Parts: sequence; C-alpha cells; structure tokens
Amino acid sequence: MNRRIRLAATDAIYPAAALVAAVACWWAITVVTDVPSFVLPPPDAVLARLIGNPELYAINAWYTLEKVVYGGLVGIVSGIALAAFVAYVPWFRRAIYPYLVTVRVLPKLAIAPLLLIYLGTGMGTAIVFIAMITFFPLVLNTAAGLDRAPARHRELLRSVGAGPLERVRYVDVPYAIPGVFAGLKQSVTLAVVGAVVAEWVVADNGLGFLILMGSENVSPDIMLAALLVLLLEGLLLYGGVVALQRGVDSWLDLEGGGS
Amino acid sequence: MIELDDLTVTFDDFTAIADVDLRIEPEEFVTIVGPSGCGKTTLLRAVGGLQEPTAGRVRIDDRVPAAAQEAGDIGFVFQQHTLFPWKSALENVVFLRTMADKSPKREKAHALLRSMGLDGFEEARPSQLSGGMKQRVAIARALHLGADVLLMDEPFGELDEITRDELGAEIRSLWRQERKTIVFVTHSVPEAVFLGERCVVMRDQPGRIEATFDIDLPTPRDTDVFGSRAFQEQVAAVRQTLHESYE
Repeated sequence: MNRRIRLAATDAIYPAAALVAAVACWWAITVVTDVPSFVLPPPDAVLARLIGNPELYAINAWYTLEKVVYGGLVGIVSGIALAAFVAYVPWFRRAIYPYLVTVRVLPKLAIAPLLLIYLGTGMGTAIVFIAMITFFPLVLNTAAGLDRAPARHRELLRSVGAGPLERVRYVDVPYAIPGVFAGLKQSVTLAVVGAVVAEWVVADNGLGFLILMGSENVSPDIMLAALLVLLLEGLLLYGGVVALQRGVDSWLDLEGGGS
Repeated sequence: MIELDDLTVTFDDFTAIADVDLRIEPEEFVTIVGPSGCGKTTLLRAVGGLQEPTAGRVRIDDRVPAAAQEAGDIGFVFQQHTLFPWKSALENVVFLRTMADKSPKREKAHALLRSMGLDGFEEARPSQLSGGMKQRVAIARALHLGADVLLMDEPFGELDEITRDELGAEIRSLWRQERKTIVFVTHSVPEAVFLGERCVVMRDQPGRIEATFDIDLPTPRDTDVFGSRAFQEQVAAVRQTLHESYE
C-alpha cells in the first residue's frame, strides 16, 4: 500500500515538472520577447483575471454546466432507451441500425445553426444540440454491449426457468455496463464541446460565450482564463463518470470482471 | 424417467435428428457418443427444453421440458463453463439456484466446492481458475441446483486428458452419492464407455440412434478400469459400431 502511494507520487512528479516547465517557458517568452500582451498575455495576467472577477467565471461555468447536464441527461437517457429497442426488437434494429451507423459520420456541429432557426436563442437549442451529440456514442456502445452477452449464459438461465426480465437483469445488463461507460466517457467530453459550440451559435452566456466575447475584444487573457475553467469543468465531469462507474461496478459486483 | 418418442428436430432444410426413441430410467447414467455433427448436442438440448422438437415429444417424469425447467429439475453443464465472470466461484454456485427460485444453501455450496477439490477457491473469480477448475465449479453449480436430471454436453471437451480422467472418476462417484439421472454427451468412445451404465451410439445425416450398449464394468469404477480387458473390448465394440455406420 505504502509502496503504491510512493509509486503514485513518483509518477506525479514527471507531469508536474512538465507543467511547471511549460508555464515557465510561457512566462519567459512574454518577458524575453516583446510579444504584446493582447497576443500572448503572461500567466500571471490570466491568473489575475480569474482572481479579479471570480463571479464572472463561476456564473458562466454554471451556465455551461447546466446545459451539459440537461442536454447530456436527455441524450444519455434517449440513447440508452433506443439501444434497448435496437437490441431487443429485431425489425426495429434492421430498420434503424444502418442509419445510426451512417449518421454518425455526419459532423453534428454543422447542425447547430439549423437548430437555431428551429428552436431560437433560448436554452432549448443548446440542450437539443448537446443531447444529439451525446446520443450517438451511447446508443452505439450500449447496443454493442447488450449484444456482448453470450447466448449460452441466457440459455443457462432459461434452463432453470428464469424469465426474460431476469435474463436481462442478470446477464445482458452486466455485460452491457462496460459499453455504456465507454459511451458515457465519449459523451461527456463531446457534451462540453457541444455546449461551447451552442454558446458560440446562440451567444447568450456560458464559458463558450465568454471566449467568444474575449475574441471580439481581443482579450486573450479572458479567453485563456475561460479555457482554464472549461478544462477544469471537463475534468470534473469526466471524473464524475469514472466515480459513477466504480459505484455501479461494485453495486453490480462487476469488479474483477472482464472477458 | 426421461422419454423421447419419435423425436425429430430440423433446422430449415437440415434434419439434425430424426425419429429418436429413447427411455432413460431414474438414476441411470447414460452416455451418448457419436461423430461431430451427429445431432447429439441437439438431442440433449431437446431433452433439456432448450430446443423445441419439430416432431415427436419429450417427457421428463411425465412433464414437458419447460415444466421441468420451471421446477428447477434440469441441471445443464455445457462444454464451455458458462460461469459469470463477475461472480466468485461460490456466488456462481449459489446464483443459479436462486434463479430457479430455490433458497440458496451456502453451507451446502461450500461443501460441494470442497468435495470438488476447490477448497480455498470459493472467492476466486473464473478468470483466476484453470479450465478444469471452472468445469468443477460448473458441476458443483448443477449439483447445488438440486435438479434430478443432469444434462452434460461434452463438459470435458476443452480439458487436457489427465484432467478429463480425473473429473470423469469424480462424476462417477458423485453420481453414486447424489443419485442423479445423468445424460452425458461426448465424442470420446473411451469416455462414453468409462462413464456410462449404458452407452447410446449415434450416427449422422440425419442423427439417429445406431445402437445401445449396456456397459458391463464394475461399480465403483476408477481409472484402473482403463487397463482392463473388459473395458478395452467394450471400447472396441462401440468403435466398430461407429465405423460400420459409415460404410
């Protein structure tokens, strides 16, 4: 145990040193060269922005988070529901699956301006857009996960008179869980991208809007500060999914699972 | 008693088994031997209610297989162990019984695992067990289910020869202790002769019963039997029947 902690500590030294070095280089460039601060502000200027007006970043981080959570929930729930239909209704699968696979190729970002026309400049556009973007990884990964359960496990349960619902709960779902989380991990990253794009298109609020404003006012320090907050928010969300996966795994007793 | 009357199973235009009649007495140990693709697995699946007959009928103690399944009276052991990878050996054994709506008896499950030589491996996951150990867990699971009928589909098919022999001897002694009806499918003639009280020989295209042999070997049996003249003669007789069906 102690050894593991010590290993983790040594593992952390390298990336930490790299980060310090990178920030130092950044700072050195701003000092040594005469790059104007409206092109590359020094690190301390970015930090000053954050400390100087924390409410601005906090409130916009909250707006972005709100969109990600609402849109993400809609996308995740509908994605899993559709995956269940695809997995259990053969005619539906045959009708819809080719489109699910082909539409995935379409760059969903390109649809955002269209949504603006249909749904206007409210939250609705952002929510529907994020829902769309998170939906695809979930539906495909969950459907693939539900297919992973070997037929012989279902037959084993059938041979002792277990019903179809028990077969779903005890065979299909445990086999699908890793797929669901593979989808969730993609989705949560895409959801943040989707929120930023929606905020550019709708231009109402949020960290994406802050970046857009920073660009129009040629204030890279604001943009970099907003990016930093966005990064932390993305990490937090991703960490949430990882924590949820641990919880679900131990609840379903999946630890040490695998093949 | 297991009764098969004119049992026929076809898949599209392929007849897997045709007009099979067979009676298996309670507490009998019957082995079914035949070449790959002779329909012996299909036959076993039909007995266990995993395959609907196209024609004819299957009765287990005067019930359709589905009713026997519902009562938890059928214990399958498949060629692949079919253990749940996320459950420990003990949980796997207990779980199937729960699925059959029977109350689990953890003490009995422990005892079964011990008697199968898995003492100390109760908490191990399938991925931590060897092939032979996994099949041992699967057999313990079928026994814990408390089914009267055990249907075994080449359960030793993926094991090395030494493990096969060991497990075969164990199955024989379990059969005597637990008083089960066992139907055991294999493509190994020595295995079929060693294990069975009766050996059913099948031929293919379509799958039919070619002959039935009453095995005349001492009970209890262990691996010493392999060297005996009686064993070798009966293996030779079964082999000859198998080969003749191809001429």
